[in-house]
Amino acid sequence: MQMRIPNDHKATIQPQRSSGEEVARLTAENSALKVELSEARKSNQQYLQNVAHQLTAPLGAIKWSIEALKDPEVSLSRKSKLLSSIYSQATILVHLIKNFALMSNLEADLELGQFRERPEPVDILRLCINLANDFQPQAAENEKKIVVDEDSFAGTLQGKKVQMVKNLVAQALSNLLENAVKYSDSRSTIVISAEQATVDKIGDTLVISVRSTGLPIKTDENEQLFKRGFRGSTAKQKVPAGTGIGLYLAKRVMVLHQGAIGLKTTGRDSRFKLMFPLSRLV
Amino acid sequence: MKTILFVDDEPWFHESLRYALEPKGYECLFATDMTTALDLLDTHEVAVVVTDIMMPAGTKFPNIDSQETGFHLIRKLQSERPQIAIVCLSVIGDESKIRPLRTLRLDYLRKGEVPLATVIQTIERAAGDGGERVWRFS
Repeated sequence: MQMRIPNDHKATIQPQRSSGEEVARLTAENSALKVELSEARKSNQQYLQNVAHQLTAPLGAIKWSIEALKDPEVSLSRKSKLLSSIYSQATILVHLIKNFALMSNLEADLELGQFRERPEPVDILRLCINLANDFQPQAAENEKKIVVDEDSFAGTLQGKKVQMVKNLVAQALSNLLENAVKYSDSRSTIVISAEQATVDKIGDTLVISVRSTGLPIKTDENEQLFKRGFRGSTAKQKVPAGTGIGLYLAKRVMVLHQGAIGLKTTGRDSRFKLMFPLSRLV
Repeated sequence: MKTILFVDDEPWFHESLRYALEPKGYECLFATDMTTALDLLDTHEVAVVVTDIMMPAGTKFPNIDSQETGFHLIRKLQSERPQIAIVCLSVIGDESKIRPLRTLRLDYLRKGEVPLATVIQTIERAAGDGGERVWRFS
């Protein structure tokens, strides 16, 4: 029987190497793998340190606030402020822990290639308004405002809903909003809007944007921003501590929805976009 | 009235410290970066600086790595304003990173881990009010 070698196999047939050459090649390959492994270990260690810091900081603040609450010399009005502060720190912790839980679930979902939770039709304008309200107190601390451009949603959605896993998309949007609040200028406005656009490899999409003005993003870091644990250099200078998983998770969420995440920056203006295939409009 | 300057970009730690120190007669000032801290030192007579390590350096020091700002501030204070006592308050637990601080005249306390009462006592001692100063490194 005659065997046929497929074309792509033919292309990979290499001339026989001498054993010396083979040893040299394997040694070089081994050294490269060692370097790669050492870098991965370093980055993992850095990531775990960041995670530990992010969890320790709000817990430490809560602990001290409780100690101050027990101090008889602290006035009642100040005790009331301490309670608000404890609530804010607990909210930050819940958000962080949800991100970590989401990360492990997402990895499993992506391996399976399907959602564990069933997608459902969601009023995405209502979701955006609720999230904007959640982040408003944090934004107000530096006189920032979060505005939802309702007209853009009405014009784009025409009364339709988006077929999606609400919890996942809410977390992705929260991560974008959290960054916008953290890195935008004091007294600036963060705008959430909707539009339709045609995107490479996806086609017609519904785009939900979070636009803010503040910290410039280096263009050569645009792609890396969506990698796990990566934080932009300007962001690190402004806020030294952070886990670097917010945008990574948002990207994973969008991939699971057969969509994509995008970033457009012009100087100090940044626009992060969540893009859903138009077929998800129901 | 003695003045304490807190330098930390995580201001939620400030409230509990301030509420515990003000009834004891201290004035508390706050800065979230090194530039603002040094500006405040130009206009106020400060007895103790309580500083974090990882924080922004601010507009006057664009080349300082934010992971190490506190080290720069401490060195600057010790050379230019040696009369000011320093307490370092940070979440860094990595001994290799904080080892250089052991040779300096300052207290190092783990933020949020050491009891608040211990921090207050350490600040009072640094201000010369709580008895003899014993350098704490915990």
